[in-house]
Amino acid sequence: MKIDHSVPLEYSTEENKNRIFGFWVFLGAEIVMFSTLFAVYFTLWNRTGNGPTAKEIFEIGPVLIETFLLLTSSFTIGLAINSMRQGLMKATMGFFAVTLLLGLGFLGVEIYEFVTYVNEGATLQTNAFMSSLFTLLGLHGAHVTLGLVWGGGLMLQMKREGFTPDTANKSFIFSLYWHFLDVVWIFIFSFVYLKGLM
Amino acid sequence: MKKLFPLQHVMGYVSSLILSVVALTVLFFDMSFGMQMTVLLVCAIIQMSVQLFVFMHIGETGSKTSLYTNIAYALFVGIVTIFGTLFTMIWGYQ
Repeated sequence: MKIDHSVPLEYSTEENKNRIFGFWVFLGAEIVMFSTLFAVYFTLWNRTGNGPTAKEIFEIGPVLIETFLLLTSSFTIGLAINSMRQGLMKATMGFFAVTLLLGLGFLGVEIYEFVTYVNEGATLQTNAFMSSLFTLLGLHGAHVTLGLVWGGGLMLQMKREGFTPDTANKSFIFSLYWHFLDVVWIFIFSFVYLKGLM
Repeated sequence: MKKLFPLQHVMGYVSSLILSVVALTVLFFDMSFGMQMTVLLVCAIIQMSVQLFVFMHIGETGSKTSLYTNIAYALFVGIVTIFGTLFTMIWGYQ
């Protein structure tokens, strides 16, 4: 394995560079997948049948909390990578932990929101609006859930092995994934919630 | 402190918070629909760029051109999917 010391650890081998590039290609596919679900939602969002409309069911409070939690977690994972590049293990682990806790908080609020909808009688089967909403939000929430498991596993590995080209590479790729989830959320916040409440 | 919280990241974070608040104003001020959508779209695109360039370091690798091409192509396909769907399913009938 040839290690190039002029670049950050996560880019230091040919394989690492390819892995990062490959992950960007994957994110490109994710952009397209989320676009199709946004297209479905934009087509169906005012097909509400006998069920509630977006304006009746959305509440801005929990949405603002979710937005704040996810924006902050995207900031802290950025800081984690920044500390990792300076070789600060403790700070990296700390920022990772904060990121995952914020992600967990986000997920908690989102589950609370879903439970509220279902209690109000708006389930996946209620109307086309709720189906497309739950599919779009649910896929994003599933990504966050996967991220929590992935990030937790990475923390264990980093604790055991320290910063190696391998763990640094994985952490950097995880940070790309986490920032991407934040980008998707920005669009959900603007064009699902705010537009629905307008 | 400066080591752990580099200015660029803090600025990126603060600007995404500010942009979210700006987007929120569409609910409280009296604006036309076109104006509201413009505010939302501009805020979302700037926030996306902050994430891409500040946090995800898209510009720092050697394979920069291929990366930009890949993301631009993905965005192109996504935008065509969304607006093509809206055009054929909604706007075409109005």
